[in-house]
Amino acid sequence: MADARAQQWSSQATSTYLLVPILLLFVLLIVAVLRGPNLVTSAGLAGAVLVATPLVLATYGLMATAMAGRGTVDLSVGPLLGFINVTLVQLNGQGIVTSPLAVFAYVIAVGVAYQALMALIIVFVRVQPIIVALSGFLALSGINRVILPRPGGAAPDWMLSWGLATSIFSPVLAILVLATAAWLVFTRTAFYGHLKLMGSDERAAYTSGVRIGWVRLGAHVISGAFIGLAALCFTALIGSGDPTQGTTYTLIAVTALVLGGASLGGGRASVIGSLLGAANLFLIGYVLATFSFGGVQGFVTDLAYGVILVLSLLLTVALPYLQRWLRRLSPVLVFVVLAMLFTGVMLHTRYAPTDSQPAAAPVTAPAAAPAEPPTAATAAATSPAAPAKRRAAPPFVFEQPAAARDISLTPLQRDAGIAALLLIALVLFSRVVVWQARTRRFTAFMYVSLAVVIVLGSWALIQTIGPSS
Amino acid sequence: MSTAAVRHGFAHPVRKWVGLALAAVVAGAGAIVGVQQGQPVQHVIFYTVATLALVVWAWNAFAYPQGGPAADAAHETAPLGARAAWKAFLLRNRGLIIALALLLLAFIVASLTAEGFFNGWNVLALAVIVLLLVVSVKVSRFFEANRSAFVGLMVLVALFAIGSFIVPGFASTTNLKAMLLFAAFLGLACVGQTLVALLGALDLSIPFVIGAANVGLLYLMGLGVPSWLAVIFILVLGTLIGLVNGILSFRLQGQALILTLGIGFAVSGLVQILTSIGSQYMGNVFGQVPGWLRNLAAMNGHTFGLPLPPVILIWIALAVLLIVGMRRTVYGRFLYALGGNRAAASRQMISERRYWWLAFSISGGVSAMAGCLLLGWSGGGFIGVGQPYLFMTLAAVVVGGTSLLGGYGGYGFTVIGVLVLQVLTSLLIGIGLQLEWQQFVIGLLILPMVALYARSPHIRTQV
Repeated sequence: MADARAQQWSSQATSTYLLVPILLLFVLLIVAVLRGPNLVTSAGLAGAVLVATPLVLATYGLMATAMAGRGTVDLSVGPLLGFINVTLVQLNGQGIVTSPLAVFAYVIAVGVAYQALMALIIVFVRVQPIIVALSGFLALSGINRVILPRPGGAAPDWMLSWGLATSIFSPVLAILVLATAAWLVFTRTAFYGHLKLMGSDERAAYTSGVRIGWVRLGAHVISGAFIGLAALCFTALIGSGDPTQGTTYTLIAVTALVLGGASLGGGRASVIGSLLGAANLFLIGYVLATFSFGGVQGFVTDLAYGVILVLSLLLTVALPYLQRWLRRLSPVLVFVVLAMLFTGVMLHTRYAPTDSQPAAAPVTAPAAAPAEPPTAATAAATSPAAPAKRRAAPPFVFEQPAAARDISLTPLQRDAGIAALLLIALVLFSRVVVWQARTRRFTAFMYVSLAVVIVLGSWALIQTIGPSS
Repeated sequence: MSTAAVRHGFAHPVRKWVGLALAAVVAGAGAIVGVQQGQPVQHVIFYTVATLALVVWAWNAFAYPQGGPAADAAHETAPLGARAAWKAFLLRNRGLIIALALLLLAFIVASLTAEGFFNGWNVLALAVIVLLLVVSVKVSRFFEANRSAFVGLMVLVALFAIGSFIVPGFASTTNLKAMLLFAAFLGLACVGQTLVALLGALDLSIPFVIGAANVGLLYLMGLGVPSWLAVIFILVLGTLIGLVNGILSFRLQGQALILTLGIGFAVSGLVQILTSIGSQYMGNVFGQVPGWLRNLAAMNGHTFGLPLPPVILIWIALAVLLIVGMRRTVYGRFLYALGGNRAAASRQMISERRYWWLAFSISGGVSAMAGCLLLGWSGGGFIGVGQPYLFMTLAAVVVGGTSLLGGYGGYGFTVIGVLVLQVLTSLLIGIGLQLEWQQFVIGLLILPMVALYARSPHIRTQV
């Protein structure tokens, strides 16, 4: 048992931190869906991907250096992004860097060159990384406004269609997916192991023969490449140059990184966490934009950012104390359960307006939104996997009365629903098998509840799909 | 010391000649300035000779490592040839030589590109910088503890000298007063950052608290609250915000940076929402600032009849209090003990929690005070008034030499850092640089300044 527990600890040491961003993600998604159906349309998702991608990539860039330890918080990430943005726009305006290949090479080269310089200063001059970053922040945000005094200029012509966000499968999404995949591949290398070791304990890394200078340089080079890509996507997003975004991007990228469960002390970060953290930040802005606070909109956004950031940090503190109960809870399972809940809400809102009184939906919906996620969350948090699964069923029951009515789902929603069901079936099944194999106890209840969930869900889906097709 | 210096001087003729050349350059520059200013020739000659003698003496006294008997023996048993001595000299001073070469390169580039850059005053400024660099590097080796203070003071003096050369009216009373006034605001904003940095954390909520106090005070006074009561209320509120920062971040010490940022966002958002309720000017507060508050912080303020804004005196008093207090009182010593080594401090029954909360509370309270004083200076509430302080407080603490890892430094260092940044900013404004160029230059200068004294040891010495 002891070694099994140790194994659990080691495998879940980082992934437990994913629980907070996952929880927050689905709370925000549910609120967003209840506030308006625009997010889960093809155009809405395309826009979301377009807006969120620069932030996600900037967070990846920050993550690579934050993992290197010594309290590296690369404050200069925002101004560097702005620097690449404004120089790219200016060079494009003069017709020097226009072709796609040249643009890609340029953004990555500038990002890598800057970060490599920072790494060399940190390694050889041996000044604290945060001071180097601060210096870079001030210098770059100054020079950005020299290069381009006010927002303006134009992105390369071939990039303009990217910013229209007509389809989800845009080049921006391709960059995002490739960047994420590249990081996942990177985590399989020995270099990644060295980086983690160096971030957690630099002395241990040095004494075990890791060439820490090279590892630090490598981390910065990787970070530079990601920031270059982020700048490219940012240019595509705004279609011009903007020298004033530096501070904002730095602050929200650091926030996204921390929301994603990374440790600013180094050694602990995950790409999924960063992705979720950045998505959360995007969703906070999105959800708040659906409310209209009139003139105080910006202040409410500030307040919400601050409060959510503090709360999620405090949850991270509470996690080790909850570890006793959370040990059996896999983040994948939580993700799937919450995804199912979200799918239920999404389907529900899709046909709620076709009810006899459309005005009732907005009234009941926001009331339901804050109430539901916490119950699922507390249920998931306080009990092992089995009760969590039982609690996962209600959304489908909850939707059934309405499911009988005449509904037309968009293909996207239908596909998402089926995919979610398949996913949950697969994960629950494998989870139960693995768990049972370890404890050598058979609980028929698990299989029964699993079967009930699948049958109910499929029936609901057939009911909803039937009339439309 | 003198005999050792002489012996080394003869052992390394290269050094002697470098020293003499340096003295000649400095004295020559002085002579040129004297003649240009139309001083009496006798004075010029006297001061030139005096400068020459002083520089040569200083070079001989300080520029040689005070080797013990072992070092002397090593030198005497292995007499070096001129070529080998030159090589060793180069190797020992490679950092300095690289820095000087870079500086010269930058100067040549600037002379070639910028019109009218190459004139006597700029050459003089270059000479001052070179002198500063050499003296800082060479002499600061003898300072074990307060190297950063020494380097900071040297930089301060040099910047001031350059400013007086280049910018007309730089050393005038008005400009000095203005510099001190702005330095006082920055210095007040840095109090909390220094204390928190001594514990190894960072407080990014300072600019938000400043802005919130600024707006909130005006709003309260607009509601009819007596101004003194409003100020006290805001100070208490600021301290409470700091306390919340401390309580929440105590368990999250690695993430204190980001947690305080979150609190800062929340506070500034909340204050703006509160002040916007029932007002048609969203986020803008208008009102009358009472005379005593304006006198406290405005340029033309008077202290007991003296034409000096009281905020400067407040700052000086607070600085003295902090410097002496950190050095003399138990609280100050325990703060250093905690920053230096948590485990050792807790063995001595020092409550980490209490000092952590205290440092953040002071930070919040003093930031709120800075916000109130800034209201007196500007005469109108503005939430963004603290924004420049977001990273400037950090820069001042770092330039002053307080370690961000905790346990080393102090408010005295930060005062030097604040003054250096303020004089540098005034100098850059005086040259006619735009705000963005100022930021660029300050950003580039922080690194070499810090590199002069805050280099961490190599990892192999820590194993």
